[in-house]
Amino acid sequence: MNAAMPWLDARRAEALESFRLKGVPHRRIEEWKYSDVRSVIGAEEIAAADTAKWQIEGETADVDVVDLSGEIPQWARDRFAMLGLHNAMESASLAFAKGGIAMRVTGNKAAGPLRLNWSGHGHARVFIVLEEGASLTLVEKHAKARGLRNIGTEILLANNAQLSHIAVAEKSDEAVGVETITVKVGPDARYNAHFANFGARLSRFDITVTLEGEGSEARLSGVSALGGGTHADVTTHIIHAVSHTQSVQLFKKVAAGKSRAIYQGQITVREGANGSDSRQTAKGILLGERAEIDLKPELEIYADDVKCAHGAAVGDLEAEQLFYLRARGVPEAEARNLLIRAFLEEAVLEIPEEAIRAEVWREVEAALEHLV
Amino acid sequence: MAILQETKDKVAAIGEKYKYGFVTDIEMERAPRGLDENTVRYISAKKDEPEWMLDWRLGAFRRWREMSEPTWARVHYPKIDYQNAYYYAAPKNTPKKQSLDEVDPKLLETYKKLGIPLHEQMALAGVAVDAVFDSVSVATTFKEKLNEAGVIFCPISEAIRDYPDLVKKYLGTVVPVTDNFFATLNSAVFSDGTFVYVPKGVRCPMELSTYFRINASETGQFERTLIIADEGSYVSYLEGCTAPKRDENQLHAAVVELIALDDAEIKYSTVQNWYPGDENGLGGIYNFVTKRGDCRGHRSKISWTQVETGSAITWKYPSCILRGDETVGEFYSIAIANNFQQADTGTKMIHLGKNTRSRIISKGISAGKAQNTYRGLVSVHPKAANARNYTQCDSLLIGRKCGAHTVPYIESRNSSAKIEHEATTSKIADDQLFYCTQRGIGEEEAVALIVNGFCKEVLQQLPMEFAVEAQKLVGISLEGSVG
Amino acid sequence: MLEIKDLHVTVDGKEILKGLNLSIKAGEVHAVMGPNGSGKSTLSFTLAGRAGYDVTKGSILYRGEDLTALAPEERAAKGIFLAMQYPVEIPGVTTLTFLKASLNAQRRARGESELDAMSVLKLVREKAKLLNIPEEMLRRALNVGFSGGEKKRLETLQMALFEPALAILDETDSGLDIDALKLVAEGVNAMRSPDRAMLVITHYQRLLNYIVPDRVHVLAGGRIVAEGGKELAHELEAKGYAQIIKDAA
Repeated sequence: MNAAMPWLDARRAEALESFRLKGVPHRRIEEWKYSDVRSVIGAEEIAAADTAKWQIEGETADVDVVDLSGEIPQWARDRFAMLGLHNAMESASLAFAKGGIAMRVTGNKAAGPLRLNWSGHGHARVFIVLEEGASLTLVEKHAKARGLRNIGTEILLANNAQLSHIAVAEKSDEAVGVETITVKVGPDARYNAHFANFGARLSRFDITVTLEGEGSEARLSGVSALGGGTHADVTTHIIHAVSHTQSVQLFKKVAAGKSRAIYQGQITVREGANGSDSRQTAKGILLGERAEIDLKPELEIYADDVKCAHGAAVGDLEAEQLFYLRARGVPEAEARNLLIRAFLEEAVLEIPEEAIRAEVWREVEAALEHLV
Repeated sequence: MAILQETKDKVAAIGEKYKYGFVTDIEMERAPRGLDENTVRYISAKKDEPEWMLDWRLGAFRRWREMSEPTWARVHYPKIDYQNAYYYAAPKNTPKKQSLDEVDPKLLETYKKLGIPLHEQMALAGVAVDAVFDSVSVATTFKEKLNEAGVIFCPISEAIRDYPDLVKKYLGTVVPVTDNFFATLNSAVFSDGTFVYVPKGVRCPMELSTYFRINASETGQFERTLIIADEGSYVSYLEGCTAPKRDENQLHAAVVELIALDDAEIKYSTVQNWYPGDENGLGGIYNFVTKRGDCRGHRSKISWTQVETGSAITWKYPSCILRGDETVGEFYSIAIANNFQQADTGTKMIHLGKNTRSRIISKGISAGKAQNTYRGLVSVHPKAANARNYTQCDSLLIGRKCGAHTVPYIESRNSSAKIEHEATTSKIADDQLFYCTQRGIGEEEAVALIVNGFCKEVLQQLPMEFAVEAQKLVGISLEGSVG
Repeated sequence: MLEIKDLHVTVDGKEILKGLNLSIKAGEVHAVMGPNGSGKSTLSFTLAGRAGYDVTKGSILYRGEDLTALAPEERAAKGIFLAMQYPVEIPGVTTLTFLKASLNAQRRARGESELDAMSVLKLVREKAKLLNIPEEMLRRALNVGFSGGEKKRLETLQMALFEPALAILDETDSGLDIDALKLVAEGVNAMRSPDRAMLVITHYQRLLNYIVPDRVHVLAGGRIVAEGGKELAHELEAKGYAQIIKDAA
């Protein structure tokens, strides 16, 4: 993406046009109501931003890894940047990034766990293809940064492929971090993802998953433990495009200090997508007098033979549970701590790989130490 | 499977069965077509309004010209040409009535057809009725009995003349003139509506009721309702709405303001059955309504109950501002959308005071090719310690071409507050229908039975005499929905 | 009363009943026994007219009339009652409301006058007493939160209320403890009459100790493979289905 790439020019021109038209997302735009990017960064600054740096760790023997700042192979060219532009920030990433990473796991190979570590600031693109029956575990880590880090990620899962995707954004007071992830899930394929978000000046994971093959499934979960004046937004949109698809979402948020935790979760069941099954739970606990939690679960249903439910709740810890623990001799502070951990743990337990789960949990504990 | 397969086809028949679709042939007096300052002046003059009221209207009109229609709701309709409609229409020869006997018999006949017994039946039912026919209030029954209790229940046009201090003090304090496009339009051109004042400590001796009817063609209806429950008082108010069948779309942009002072309670119930349009989506009322209650005093309570079966488009969010400490807001809603109807309705519960509580129960039913959206906001401000909200939002789909959507917004800024929201989407299960039919109940009746069961929590909130009507209406709205 | 001839029924494109013959006279109680998947439930749903159970061949004559083209509610009005294995929950609709709606719908269909709420209540109370159904249960939403025993008692109550000419009991014993089973069986036995036929569909012989059948039919692979008196049920219990089916073949 560094040099002239005639095959990509039209797609990038379209992205640029789209970014120019839509402008920087702001709170008057429904989807960005709780994340006012415009108030922290201007269009010119976005356009002028550099390209973020990445580094891969782990066994890559079964993975084709391509540096997008160099020569891009045909398999990637064919499908790169083809999933449509989901928001202005994603458009910006395509228009302005000079690099990024593409990964492919070919048929029936099981790869990973791999780590994708981000550093520095600027735009980047990520492109992941899992071919039929392939599987990959990918841990994506956003290290502390200053200024903008804006990633546009596309993921294609062919028949029966499985991606376990864990994204962790470290607490980063000065950062404006946005990652827009677009996933297409083929027949019997599975997208399993966890988003652990510890707050930034503005932080957003914006995920759109289309279940476009019968028998496909998406399981999303995530935690946020925020303090200070940080902000963390996870926005998910699951589209059940065909029948017999399944999705589960479980998100837990804790906000202390003057922080703001957001979860927006839209579920769409398209006409004809009968037999869709979708469950969503979003819960928050406010720990600070000046903290805020905003939840916006949303159902958009165009088929009648479906099972869809969402539940959302914001509150304090259960007084009864607290009392129970104290009655058994646990001091209040410790009891609160225990209950908050238990509250968040439920979402972290959704991570299937034990070692990674333990790693994310350590991050959660570290974050809580500063909050509670 | 086959049963539900047929459901969607049969649902189409409902438009034809709209039983309030007749037109009353009565001579009308109208403002000239279109909307400018002169229209506003015309309406104000027709109502013999004082100068301050005209100024208020003109202020609203000037603001309105600067505003644009909201687009955030999940409703779609062709652009409305506001200059191609009438803003005032009234049955001719309507000097003030001393009694019902003076009312045009044709009007009374209309009300009879609508099933509103204005005369003795009402005495038995103990309901006081104000009927708004197109733009003017026709007759108010039971004035005397209410007078005895000190309750003021009259057309708002009369209140502006007779109780200017009360009107000045409260009008526009819950829904500000500049609140939104439709409310501002209403502020400029509202022609009539209802005014209720319940004095301190008075429990209103009867249910109050207003019946709204759009009759004239190409005419918008803009009524304005203002209800004030003074300290420690209680009032229950019902409104019903119908309109004739016409191929054109007619605009209804009402504003309702409720004010409950310390320890007062207002219960506001609506059965809205404006003409929904035919089975091809032709005609029907655009129901763009702003309803808001202000629990201004401590320990006050406002409860909204609505049964929305009519209108081509419904855009309506009866809300509660829980300003006083320990105030309670409730919203109980049934919204049925069929054929090409579109409903985007819900509520806002704004928790400002301490120990405030709100409860939202919403039941949405979609059939035919309709789109039905629940949109609700629960907002807890930093000072609203111990605020509580519970929301239950259920959607029922009948047929495969309709849509059911749920868009709740939960915003909490107080750590001691507790908000819970649950939503489900389902269809009438085949085995439920089979069970009923095996016991001899026809499919159509079975659907009505199951849907009424689905709505029960809300139906229970309606005053008794309304609940039965509403239950029937639920059945009628889904009549012919199975074969 | 009921004459089933060469009945073939397809569900979701798969043939489940493959030439079933069965005949029941008024006043008789017949049992159809069979292993899981033999087509027992298909038979009961087909008799009641459930959508999706397509009769591809054969006939069902009920009092000389072919039922196959009739809707479930028409069959119900003609006196066919199916006590279901899994009675359905209908939230928000009280049991009493449901009983009134169904009783009156049947009466209407037969050209009889409808009963008002008080008369229905009186009638229901009378029948409920015998089945030990408390009034409180009648005010709860239909089957919602009912125990297995309560559901089956309510099915029996409906049978008593509608006084059907042909009662089909589908796995009535499933989910019942012995006391509940006795109670239900008593209710059913009280309904035995010279002008009523009953078809008891069950997997186990246990129920037939309490509701003693005149004839027993063994259903396997979509056909009746063995027939006999009540002793056949005991034989089944002792030998097991596999042996009986083998003997019959």
